[in-house]
Amino acid sequence: MWTYVLRRLLYAIPVYLGIIFIVMAALRINDPVAAYLGKNATAETVELKRRSMGLDRPFLVQYADFLRRIATLDFGSADRPYRSWQYESDDVGKKLAGAIGPTVAVTVPTLVLTSLIAITVGMISAFYRGRWPDRLLMFFVVLGMSISVVVFIVVGQSLFRGWINALAGSEVLASNGYEPGPGNWVTYCALPVLIGVVVGMGYDARFYRAVFVEETGRDYVTTARAKGAGRARIMFVHMLKNAMIPVITRIMITVPFLVTGSIVMEYQFRIPGMGKLLIDALGNKDFPIIQAFTAVFALLFIVTNILTDVLYALVDPRVRLA
Amino acid sequence: MHQVPLSSGGVAAGRFISWYRSPGRARPGVLAAVAAAIAALVLPVGASPALAQPATPQKVARIPIRTDGPKNLDPAKGSTTYDNFAISQVYETLLQIKYLKRVDRPKDYAELSEPLLLAEMPKVEDRPDGTQVWSFTLRPDARFHDDPCFPGGKGRTVTSEDVFYSWRRLADPAYEYENYWVLADTIVGLDEYKAAQAERVAKGQKFDYAAPIEGFRAVSERQFQVVLKRPVVRFGWVLSMFQTSIVAREAVERYGDTLGKHPVGTGPFILAEESDWVPGQQMILHRNPNYYDQRYPAEHMPEDAALGLDKPAGQRLPILDRIEITFYVPDPAMWQDFMDGKLGFVQVPAEYFEQAYIKRTQKLRDEFARRGIVAQAVPLLDFIFIGFNMEDKVLGGYAPERIKLRQAICLAMDLQEINDAFYNGLNTIYDGPIPPGLDGYPPDGEAPVSNRGPDLARAKRLLAEAGFPDGKGLPEITLYSSKGGNNAEQMQMFIRQLARIGVRINPRFVDFSELIEATNNKRTQMFTFAWGTDYPDAENNLAMFYGPNAAPGANHFNYNRPEFDEIYRRILVMKPGPERTALMEQLRDMTIRDAAYVGSMGRTRYYLSNPWLKNFKPSEDFYNWLKYLDVDDSRRAR
Repeated sequence: MWTYVLRRLLYAIPVYLGIIFIVMAALRINDPVAAYLGKNATAETVELKRRSMGLDRPFLVQYADFLRRIATLDFGSADRPYRSWQYESDDVGKKLAGAIGPTVAVTVPTLVLTSLIAITVGMISAFYRGRWPDRLLMFFVVLGMSISVVVFIVVGQSLFRGWINALAGSEVLASNGYEPGPGNWVTYCALPVLIGVVVGMGYDARFYRAVFVEETGRDYVTTARAKGAGRARIMFVHMLKNAMIPVITRIMITVPFLVTGSIVMEYQFRIPGMGKLLIDALGNKDFPIIQAFTAVFALLFIVTNILTDVLYALVDPRVRLA
Repeated sequence: MHQVPLSSGGVAAGRFISWYRSPGRARPGVLAAVAAAIAALVLPVGASPALAQPATPQKVARIPIRTDGPKNLDPAKGSTTYDNFAISQVYETLLQIKYLKRVDRPKDYAELSEPLLLAEMPKVEDRPDGTQVWSFTLRPDARFHDDPCFPGGKGRTVTSEDVFYSWRRLADPAYEYENYWVLADTIVGLDEYKAAQAERVAKGQKFDYAAPIEGFRAVSERQFQVVLKRPVVRFGWVLSMFQTSIVAREAVERYGDTLGKHPVGTGPFILAEESDWVPGQQMILHRNPNYYDQRYPAEHMPEDAALGLDKPAGQRLPILDRIEITFYVPDPAMWQDFMDGKLGFVQVPAEYFEQAYIKRTQKLRDEFARRGIVAQAVPLLDFIFIGFNMEDKVLGGYAPERIKLRQAICLAMDLQEINDAFYNGLNTIYDGPIPPGLDGYPPDGEAPVSNRGPDLARAKRLLAEAGFPDGKGLPEITLYSSKGGNNAEQMQMFIRQLARIGVRINPRFVDFSELIEATNNKRTQMFTFAWGTDYPDAENNLAMFYGPNAAPGANHFNYNRPEFDEIYRRILVMKPGPERTALMEQLRDMTIRDAAYVGSMGRTRYYLSNPWLKNFKPSEDFYNWLKYLDVDDSRRAR
C-alpha cells in the first residue's frame, strides 16, 4: 500500500506544480498591485509596493519562491515574512492558521451530523421504498434542500433564535459572531450547524437512498433475509458495509471543504473562518492570501483524493492498490 | 450588555503551525494536524489581566464598523476610513476638529479646530520671502501609552522631535509614501529630503532620520516651528488628519512593520494586548489610564441641548472604560444586533431605511421613536459623477462643438431618476464638483451655469450643433464602470436615458483595478467614479481638475485649462475669504461650462442610536469622538 501511496504522491507532484503555475499566472494577468492600491495610488507607490512584495522579480523566480514556501509550509515567519496586503502586520500563515479553528468548529459537526442522519434516512427510505415512511422522509429532506440557505439563515437568526432564547430566558443562541472554546460552541456555532445540516441533508439523503436502493436488490441481501437476519442487521451491518465505497467517496469529497469552510454561513454569521477569510481577501484584493489559500486548497484536494483510494482498499477487500 | 471576551484561539493555532514547522519533530499525519487545529479551537479561554472584571462596574459600549474594519493602525500606512476611525482612538494629532461644532462652509481650519496635543492654537506668521512660519507649543502633560518599548515600560512625554520624526516617516519609502501626499509640496526642504533619502535607500543605505530639513526647527523640547514654502491653506486642516498623528520612535524601532498592529500613541484608548484586535472580527479599546486632563467641550450648537449633548461639559475624557467595536460585513447581522439593543448606534443600511424612516418625510417611524431611538443625519462630503476623458478624440477637447457634445450628454441624463431608483431618493443633487457644506457650493445646489438634465430639447439642439443631429454620425461611446454593487442596473438606466437623444453607449464593466488602469492610461471615454473629500476645503475637490494632476494623478478627466491652473495655484495660498470663495466659484463654473463630467450627487448618512448611548453626535469628517461617548446602563433592555 505504501508503494501505491508513494506512487500516487509522485504522480500528483506535476499536477500540483501545474495548478500552482496556472493560479500564479492567472493572478498576475491584471496588475494585482494597482488593483489593491486603488484610485489614489501614485505610480511611485505602486512601484514601491511591487518591489516590496517581490512582484518585480521574473515570474519564474516568484514561482520557485512560492513553491519553496509551500514545501516548507512557510507562509510567513520572522526571518521570511509573507505579509497579508490588507493586514500588513500579519503573516499569511498566521491568518490561515487563525481561521482554521472557527471553520472546523462549524464544518466538522455539520459533516458528522449530516452524514449520520442522511445515511440513516437514506437506509430507512431505501428499505421502505415507495411506502409512506420513504415518502414522508423524502418530502422533508427535499423541502430542506429546496429552500434557499439564506431564508434558513434569516429565519434562524430572527425567529428561531428569538424563540429558543425566550424559552431559555437568556441568550442561548447568538445571531452572529464567534468565540473560541467549548463553552461558547452552542452560542455561536449551534445555529449555523443546525442550518447546515437541514440544508445539506437533502442532497446527501437522496444520494444515500439511491445507493441503498441499489443494494437492497443484491443477492447478499436476499441471502441474509433467507438466513433469518433481522431488518436492522441487514441495514446496518450487511448493506452499510457493502455501500461504504460511495459513502466514503461522498464524505471524502467534502473533506477539503471542511478546511476551506462555508462562505455563505461564515459570512452571514460573521464566523472568522477560512470561507470568510477568502471572501474578505477577494473583496480586498489581498493577493498573498488568495494565492496561499488556493495553493492550500489544491493540496488538500489532491491529498484527499489519494486518501480516498486508500480508504477504499481498507473498507473493501476486493479493491487492490496496485 | 453583550460582553465579548477574546481568547487566544488564533494565537494558539499559530503556535501549532510553528510547532508543525519546527525541525526535529516527527511529521504528524493529517489526523494529528486536524486534531491539533481542533485543540487550538477549544483551548481554554485565558482571562487576560486587561480584561479581568473589576470590582466596580465598568462603562462599556459596543459599536459597529460596517465593513471588515481597519487594516493597519500605523498612521504612516493607514489609508481607509476604518483605519482612520481606529487610529484616531489610539493616536493623536496636534489639532482636532471640535466635537459638537458644525459649520456650513467653514472659513478656515481655525474655525473648526482646537488644540489637542498642543497647548494653544499655532501662531502663523507670513514672511517677506513668501514663506510662512507656524509656531507650535506642545502641551506638557501628553504622554505616550505605557509600553515595553520605553525604559521601564512607562510612556514618556511627547516632544518636538516626535513631531518631526512622525512626519519624516511619511517620506520614508519603507511606508511606500502611502500618506506623504498630505505634506507634499508644503514644507521647506521636505520634498528635497524625500528625494535625497529615496536615492540613498535605492543605493542600499539606511533612511536617515537625522538629516536636516530646513522647514523643521526645534526651539525647545515643547516648542517648534514649521516653515511652509508658501501659505498653504490645506496645512491647517492637515494638522487634524490622522496621517500626521504623533508616533514614538521607540515603538517604531521595536515593532517595525508590525507597528500597524501594535499602536503606541497618546490617545484616550489603548489596545491592551494583541488579542484585543481580531482583524475582520472585532477590536476592544480600553481606557488609557494615563490620559492627560482633557474635558468634554462646552462649545456646542443650539440644537445639541435637545439631545442633552451639552450636559457633560467639563467631564473628564474618555468617559467609557471599554469600547467593543464589532466589524460587520453583512448588514443584516448588524441591524439585528442594533435592534436587539446590543449596539450603541448603527449606520442605517439602504435596505433598512424604510423600516426605520418614513421615506417621504425622512422622519423616524413612531415605533422606533417610542423605543427611545434617536435619528441623526450626517451629510457626506461626496462628489459622485460620470467623468469625460478630455483627451478623448471624440468627446474630449475644448472646441465649442466638443463642449456642446458633452453638454448634450449631461442634459440628456436625469440624475433625479437615478437618485430615486438607486439611492432611495436620499442623495443631494447639485451642480459642480464642490459638495454641500463647503465654500463654493452653489446656493441650493444650483450654479449660475448648469447642464443639469433632463432637458431633452436643449440636449438635442446642442447635439445637432455639435454636428451629430439625433446622434447620427456619433460613434458608440464606451462608458467604463467597475463591477459590483448595482452598477449594472445603473448602467441600463444611463443607456436608456442617453438613447433618448440618439447617443449610444457601449457599457464596459471592469474590475476596479482595470478601471484605474484605464483612466490612468487615458483609455476611457467616459467613466463612473466618486470622490470623498479629504478635508473640508473645496480646494481638495478642485485639485481633480488641476492640469499637473492629470492621469495617472487625481485629475482623471485630464482637464487642462491654463486659466484654471493659474487660479487654482492662487487659491492654494490664499487666505480664506470672499475673494477666495469667488475664485473657487469661478473654477466650479468653468468645469461646468466645459462639461467635464455629468454630475453631481452627494450622499447623506443616516444614524440611529439606542437610548442607552449618550453624547452621540456622529461625524464622518473626523473620528476621534469615541472619547466623548457615555452609556446609561439603566436604559439598556433587560
